[in-house]
Amino acid sequence: MKKCLSDPVKLLTLLLFSLTLSFTSYAQEIPTDQAIIDAGGVLFNGNCKSCHRVKQKLVGPALAGVETRVPSIDWIYAWVRNPAKVIASGDEYANKIYNEYNKSQMTAFNNYTDEQIMSILAYVKAEANKVDAPAPGTATTTAGGDAGVPTAYLNAIVIGMILILVLLLVILVLIINALKKYLDNKDLSPEDQEIVHSKYTVGSMVRSSGFIFLVLFIVASVSFKNIIDGLYTVGIQQNYQPKQPIAFSHKIHAGQYEIDCKYCHTGALKGKQANIPSPNICMNCHAQIKEGTNTGTGEIAKIYAAIGFDPATSSYTGQQKPIEWVRIHNLPDLAYFNHSQHVNVAGVECQTCHGPIQEMDVVKQYSLLTMGWCIDCHRKTDVNTKDNHYYDKLVEIHNSKKAMKVEDIGGLECAKCHY
Amino acid sequence: MKRIFNMSIRFIQVSLASVAVAALLAGCKAGGDNPGREYAPNMYHSVAYEPLTQIKDKEAGMWLSSLDNGRGEFYNSNDYNPYGMNMRLPAPNTVRRNANGWLPYRGANDTTGLRLANKMVNPFEATPAILAQGKMLYEINCKHCHGAKGAGDGLVADKYPGVANLTGDAIKGVSEGHIFHVITYGKGLMGSHGSQVNDEERWKIAKYVKQLQTN
Repeated sequence: MKKCLSDPVKLLTLLLFSLTLSFTSYAQEIPTDQAIIDAGGVLFNGNCKSCHRVKQKLVGPALAGVETRVPSIDWIYAWVRNPAKVIASGDEYANKIYNEYNKSQMTAFNNYTDEQIMSILAYVKAEANKVDAPAPGTATTTAGGDAGVPTAYLNAIVIGMILILVLLLVILVLIINALKKYLDNKDLSPEDQEIVHSKYTVGSMVRSSGFIFLVLFIVASVSFKNIIDGLYTVGIQQNYQPKQPIAFSHKIHAGQYEIDCKYCHTGALKGKQANIPSPNICMNCHAQIKEGTNTGTGEIAKIYAAIGFDPATSSYTGQQKPIEWVRIHNLPDLAYFNHSQHVNVAGVECQTCHGPIQEMDVVKQYSLLTMGWCIDCHRKTDVNTKDNHYYDKLVEIHNSKKAMKVEDIGGLECAKCHY
Repeated sequence: MKRIFNMSIRFIQVSLASVAVAALLAGCKAGGDNPGREYAPNMYHSVAYEPLTQIKDKEAGMWLSSLDNGRGEFYNSNDYNPYGMNMRLPAPNTVRRNANGWLPYRGANDTTGLRLANKMVNPFEATPAILAQGKMLYEINCKHCHGAKGAGDGLVADKYPGVANLTGDAIKGVSEGHIFHVITYGKGLMGSHGSQVNDEERWKIAKYVKQLQTN
C-alpha cells in the first residue's frame, strides 16, 4: 500500500524535476548584463562575503569558476536553498565539499529565487574575470610634512649663528690687542695713555666682588630650583615607558581599528583591575591575522608561542607559557583604586587618566598619579548621577544650586582610598 | 676684602654641593625603562599577593627588608603556582555565583548544541534599559568587526576575513539563543567571546542585535 502511494509521488517529482531542468536549461548561460551583475553584487556583499570570496578560500571555497566545478547550475540552486538536504541525499560532490571544509555546513538561503542566485553567479563570474589591479586607496598615505622649516635645520642655523658670533668676538679682541700694541709704540699724552690702558678691563670686572656675587647667586638659585624639582620627581613615575615583551601597538589596535579599550581590558567595567588581556583574546583576531602592520610575523609569533598555537596548521599544541608584561602604572600599595567605580559608575573615559593611548605605539604613564592629582579631579568633577538611583537621596540632601562634586559625597575622605 | 673672599668661598662650596645634589636627583626622574625612585618604598610594595604584579627576584628590596624569611621586601610571587604567578585559574568544576543565580551556559560547542540553543529564550525583556546596556556592550565588543549597524562593515572587517553581516538574509532570522550560542563559542572564523562577556551580557547583546536586525 505504502509502495503504491509513494510511486506516483516519485513519478511526479521526476516529472517536475525534468520539467525544471528543461525549463532552466535555457537559463544555464550566466548573464553578463551589468544590471544583473550589480544586483548580484549587492546580494553577494550582503550575504555571501562573510564566508566566501571570489578568488580567496575563506570559511568556504573561493567562488571563481564555481559554475564549471559543480555538477550543474541546478545543483547550485538546490545547494544554496538547502545544503543539508543535498548532503543528506547522498550527492557525491556535496559530501566531498562538506568533508573538505571540516563538516561546516553552509547557511541555507531558502527564499532565494533562481534569478537571485543567477545574479550572484553573474557577479562572481564578472569579478573572477577582472584582472588583479592594486586597489585604489590601499597605498599608505604619508603624513604631509610640517609647514615651515624642520627643527633639525633650525638647530643647525642657530648653532651656525652662535659660531659666527664667537668668531666675531675673537676677531674683535685680536683687533683691540693689535691696536693697543700699535698705540704703545707711539708717544701719547698721559690722558690718552689712561684711555688706552684703562683701569676697568674685563679681567678686573670679572674679579670684582659684585660680579662674583651675581654669578654665585644665579648658580645657587638654579641649583636650588633643580633640587626642589628633583625632590618632586621622587615617587612619581610619569613618563615611565618600559620596553614590553611583545611590541603591541595601541596606535594600531585602538587608534587605527578603533577597537574599544574594554574589549581587551575586560575588567575595567567590572572590577578593581582593568586587566591585561589573556592571549585567547588576542587569538580572536590573530588566529587569522598572522602578519602585523609594523613588525610582520615576528611579534605575533610571540603570542602563538605563549598560547601554544601552530600557525601552519592552525591548531593548538597545548604548550603554554605566560607573557611577562611589564606593569606601567604602579599605584602605591597604600592607596586603593578601583577601575569599575570610575569607568562604569562615573563613566570616565580611559583617556582622562591614561592620555591619548590610541596614539601610542609604546604606552607610557601619562598622568602623575599623585594624591594631589586624584584630589584635584575629585574637586572638579560632577558626580554622574544620571539614571543611577543610588545617588537619588544624596542629590536630594545636597539640594544646592551648585552641581554635586565628588568631594561633596566624601571624595576627599582619607579612608576612601587609604585603609 | 678678606670677608668678601671668605663669603665667596662659602658660596662656591654651597653652589657646588647644590649642583651635585641636583645632578643626583635628576637620576630619580622616571622615563624609558627607568621607573624612577620611590619615597618610602616599603609602603609602595604590597606584602600580600597582588594580581597583575609580579616581582620574581627574591633579593629585590633586600636592603630594607624587615622580613624574617630571608627574602627582599619587594618579592611578590607565589611559589606554589606555575611560573610563580600570583593569579590562578578557578578550581576545576566550580562555578562563580552571580546575582541572577544562573549556572554557566553548558550547551555543546557543535551543530547539535547550536540547534538546541536556537530554542532558548532570552530571559530579558526588550526594555529601553536592557537595550541601552546591550548597545553599550555591542559597541565595546562587536562594533569593530560587525559595524555600528551590524552590516559587517566595522574597521577590523577590512583586514579580517569572514565578518558576518548581521542584517543579511542568512542571519536576520536567527533566534536570540542562536546569537547567544555564537557569542559564547564563535562560529566560522569568529572566535569565542565567552571569556569576555558573561551569560547576562550575552543575552543583552542578543537583544540589541535583534533590534538592529528589525530596524
